[in-house]
Amino acid sequence: MPISFTVNHRPATTAADPAVPLLRVLREELGLTGTKQGCDEEGECGACTVLLDGQPVRACLTAVGKVAGRTVLTVEGLGGADHLDSVQEAFIAAGAVQCGYCTPGMLMAAKALLDREPNPSEIDILDALDGHLCRCTGYASIIRAVKLAAAPPPTIPSGADRRADSVDKVTGRARYVEDIPMPAMLYAAVLRSPHPHARLLTLTTDRAAQMPGVVRVFTAADIPGINGFPSYSQEEPVLTPVGQTVRMIGAPVALLVAQTPQAAAAALKNIEANYEVLPHTYEVDEALDTGAYPIAGTKNILTTFQVRHGDIDSAMGSAAEVVAARYETAYLAHGAIEREAVLGYLDDESRITVIGGNHEPHNQQGYIADVLGLQREQVRVIQPPTGGSFGSRQDPWPFVAVGLMVYHLRQPVRLVYTRRESFDAAPKRHPYKTDIRIGATRDGRLTAIQENILANTGAYDSGGQFIPNFAVTASGGPYRWQAVDATATTVYTNGCKAGQFRGFGTSQAVFATECALDELVQRLRMDPLEFRLQNRLLQGERSFLGYPVADSLGFEQALEALRPHYDAYSAEAKAFNEESDGSMRRAVGLAGMWYRFGKSGTLRVEAYAELARDGGLVIYCSAPDYGQGTNTSMNQIAAAALGVPRENVTLVNADSARVPDSGIQGASRATFFVGGAVSLAAENLKNAILGVAAEMLDVAPDQLQLTGAGVTATGDPTRLVTLVEIAREFDRIGKSRRLAGVFDLSDRFPAGMRPEYLPLFVTGAQVAQVQVDLRTGEARVVRVAAAHDVGRVVNRTDARGQVEGAIVMGLGAALMEEYLPGETTGFRNYYLPTIKAIPQMDIVLVEVPSIFSPLGVKGLGEAPLLPATPAIINGISRAIGVRLRTIPATPERVLAAILGKP
Amino acid sequence: MTTYCVPGSISEALEILGRYDGDALIIAGGTDVLPDIRKGKRSPRCLVDITHIPGLDQITVAREYVEVGAAVTFSALAQHPYLQSHVQALVDAAAAVGSADIQNAATWAGNLVQALPAADGAVVALALEAQVLVHDKDGMRGLPVARLFAGPGRSFVDPTRQIITAVRFRIPERPWGTGWRRIGRRDSLVLPILNCATVLELAGGHIIRAAIALGPVAPTPFRATAAEEFLIGQPPGDEAFAEAARLVQRESNPRSSRARASREYRLAALPALVLDALTLASRRAQEKLELQRRERTG
Repeated sequence: MPISFTVNHRPATTAADPAVPLLRVLREELGLTGTKQGCDEEGECGACTVLLDGQPVRACLTAVGKVAGRTVLTVEGLGGADHLDSVQEAFIAAGAVQCGYCTPGMLMAAKALLDREPNPSEIDILDALDGHLCRCTGYASIIRAVKLAAAPPPTIPSGADRRADSVDKVTGRARYVEDIPMPAMLYAAVLRSPHPHARLLTLTTDRAAQMPGVVRVFTAADIPGINGFPSYSQEEPVLTPVGQTVRMIGAPVALLVAQTPQAAAAALKNIEANYEVLPHTYEVDEALDTGAYPIAGTKNILTTFQVRHGDIDSAMGSAAEVVAARYETAYLAHGAIEREAVLGYLDDESRITVIGGNHEPHNQQGYIADVLGLQREQVRVIQPPTGGSFGSRQDPWPFVAVGLMVYHLRQPVRLVYTRRESFDAAPKRHPYKTDIRIGATRDGRLTAIQENILANTGAYDSGGQFIPNFAVTASGGPYRWQAVDATATTVYTNGCKAGQFRGFGTSQAVFATECALDELVQRLRMDPLEFRLQNRLLQGERSFLGYPVADSLGFEQALEALRPHYDAYSAEAKAFNEESDGSMRRAVGLAGMWYRFGKSGTLRVEAYAELARDGGLVIYCSAPDYGQGTNTSMNQIAAAALGVPRENVTLVNADSARVPDSGIQGASRATFFVGGAVSLAAENLKNAILGVAAEMLDVAPDQLQLTGAGVTATGDPTRLVTLVEIAREFDRIGKSRRLAGVFDLSDRFPAGMRPEYLPLFVTGAQVAQVQVDLRTGEARVVRVAAAHDVGRVVNRTDARGQVEGAIVMGLGAALMEEYLPGETTGFRNYYLPTIKAIPQMDIVLVEVPSIFSPLGVKGLGEAPLLPATPAIINGISRAIGVRLRTIPATPERVLAAILGKP
Repeated sequence: MTTYCVPGSISEALEILGRYDGDALIIAGGTDVLPDIRKGKRSPRCLVDITHIPGLDQITVAREYVEVGAAVTFSALAQHPYLQSHVQALVDAAAAVGSADIQNAATWAGNLVQALPAADGAVVALALEAQVLVHDKDGMRGLPVARLFAGPGRSFVDPTRQIITAVRFRIPERPWGTGWRRIGRRDSLVLPILNCATVLELAGGHIIRAAIALGPVAPTPFRATAAEEFLIGQPPGDEAFAEAARLVQRESNPRSSRARASREYRLAALPALVLDALTLASRRAQEKLELQRRERTG
């Protein structure tokens, strides 16, 4: 019997099985794709929350039979673009919308709260939003948004920082990969290895291919070009051929395409794969043992990198105090709320077109072309709205897999990982084991640093070849060392492949160094802030790397900006402890960092600015937005350079067929490099427009003003030409309406003279006040203050949001997150911080302009993650009076440390 | 295609269960039923939704007992004024299940049928010495929650043939208080490393009844009877509670779980947990005592 109910004030009917979750009916039958799915329909994430008779419920846990005769409200029913609900307005104004994937669930929960309680307390807000996972914002801006919606000020904030795509994201109109409808869509599923290490002996697909709804099964034999993407990952096959080894649980063996996702999943079991199980290990120490079973590389080693200068023995010998310890970090998952999702089809020029969240459309285009044996021009990659990345979406695998299926089938194919698959098979953060030795003189001058980092790259390279350089570099910090001997090695194991993750290889190294520094500071009985000030690297001095850094350093300014917070937190902790009965103890931890931003590769980045025939101002660039806000910052930078309002600028971003290649987007380089090119392109276009208009109006260009609509003479607004007229004039005189902007540092850093990576660094520091229950080992972070040099702020709301999100991500790594290969199955046992775990945060953005950027900007997105974890761990270590050297600091680890257990 | 039935009475619900002879399944909030169906743990031909049966969504506060209907959600429990001021452990336990929007659907009765060793609803029910009212073809009977659990994830109530219509617990005559304490890897959406519910009844400056329930320290939610017996006759206070906590530690037998915590940790953290929960219960009982005294004198 059909089920009738009301959705968004309109009647709806479904013939679905009543035991099916409401979520599927909303998305698949009613096209209400604003409601998101982030887990495997287990109520683990909160992205699918809707209102049922005004009460928030998880649509994935609600049988559609239950809603018969009742009223459902989804994000689409909240308010459209032209009549937003106040809660939607508030989310936009407070910067609470980043990737937007948790947003619909958050909005619905907030809406129900405000309907019930128009003046909610902070606790009411936390209770209402608890259990809705967000990985971008660190929740702080979401809390501010709900408060704003409850008590809107007489004037809504100016909106100068408004996200370009936020209206789409708060109304459910934004089409993420899973939301894009396409005729004749097919659905893919992946057969993956159940073993951490095994040889694939036979693979039989006939029975599966005969199953109802199945279109085709693909194996390694179906790959026309290269079976891999070796420039990104050495020795990682797209699909493992028979006779070769699968090196991790989740290693892909076959692809199956069917007419429905359910048919694909059901048929997968009928592919027969036989394996010879091989010995496996998840531990780097075991993989390096002589006699260890070979996994890959030479003796299971991928790459090594070393920095060495100064007389290490004499420098260490001159130290009055030496700290030597091993620090260990866990395997971490990105936890983007949108699962890995990629869609492919043939575009109107018959190109293999692949849509999916990624960091570099042109690189993905190249990987796909190589696998298919095609020219790059025959492939196109487009960035859709994306539900978070944090590095996870740099993995080429889902792109080449979908490219392969579309190549053979010439029909749209969508691949969406289950959350379980995402945990099994998508890249993770490399766990480190770091043996570190640092020394200082009695008066607190650092002398030497010696360390050996073993980074677990898991089963496949996946960019791990570059990890040692990043690890070693980050470990030095913005400090003055007399001698350095630091080595890092990436080691193969049978754990999940580790890959790109916010801060790529640096946060684990900074954790070890900053905790070891704190040990040293305690032994010297010095102040951690003064100690760092005293040892800070000065401009022009030889850095940890053996040569000076290139860009301006704002570390001193950051530490000074932190000082009042450090003093206040310390005083508060002291007062708390004096009142406490001894079971609870508070302490303050501090950590600094440097982060090499900008990466290298090409030092020449291009963007275009165009005056369209219709008078529009259009920017073409490649700075993919996966939630961090590049669509907005590029728009702001262009508008500022053109001198027009933001809404007059259109952005075409990250479509390999339409925009120039701006290189790999990582290492927080978008605003610095691409932003620089966008600004120059916009400036060039402005000058060209004014030049043409000057001829048309017979007025000198410096007497003219560009507005969103046209050009007017200064002081005489009646002398005006519209942009449409100017565009026509460009065409008449044969002048190109599209101008390039080139941001090029290759002259400043001549080839052959520069190191492999440019020594551009940002610095910053954080303090954390923590509270520990000394009887149970439960730790909470009460407050965090962060001061970061960002060069120059482009968008203050978003910059703050990046820092808050990074702090909470660092808190997760410090206290709760740990991925266990083969055991972690979902968000139920991978513990992302929830809203009640977050501290009060004080964010200070320090502006010491970059020497190289025309805008003065530096990189921000990753750096604030680095000091968060060691600041928290230093706080806990000080609170319990014992050093914690392994994270996460679970209640178990903290209590074991207190009780003196190993 | 599953049949979805919305019976208007308990007898109608029983009639449907009888008709399907084990192939129908009771659904209340459905927050456990749906994942079970998806994973193939259950494959009912019919879902029998009991949330529209009149009366089952009621919380009845009688003179001697509280009765919570099987369709009452954890949210409704947590927001109930009487429970908020008199049975705080139940309110806190209800607010610890999943998250707010799961509490809007999930029910106490459903939580009990799932019979997980650490289910927050089960641990607090055990401490309250609650009983469930079970209807089946043979009639209605009260089953103490203590006798509900058959093993990890298994209860003696079969939701394909039986219906829990209510959870009921006694309101003690004498001043009493409840306590709740939970340790988890985070604050919400997570099974506990340990949870503990306590009930204390006071008279004449002494403890006359104590209940201490814990999870997961045994295959099913656990009552620490040795510690409870020790507390009887003791004056409430740190000394007695610390000794009781030591006894609980001795009679508990937790397992190790890699995703949550080891046996060793659970045993080590347990005394603080019990101490905190007993202290809360005692403070609330004393407050009631004080209130009674003031009422009498005032």
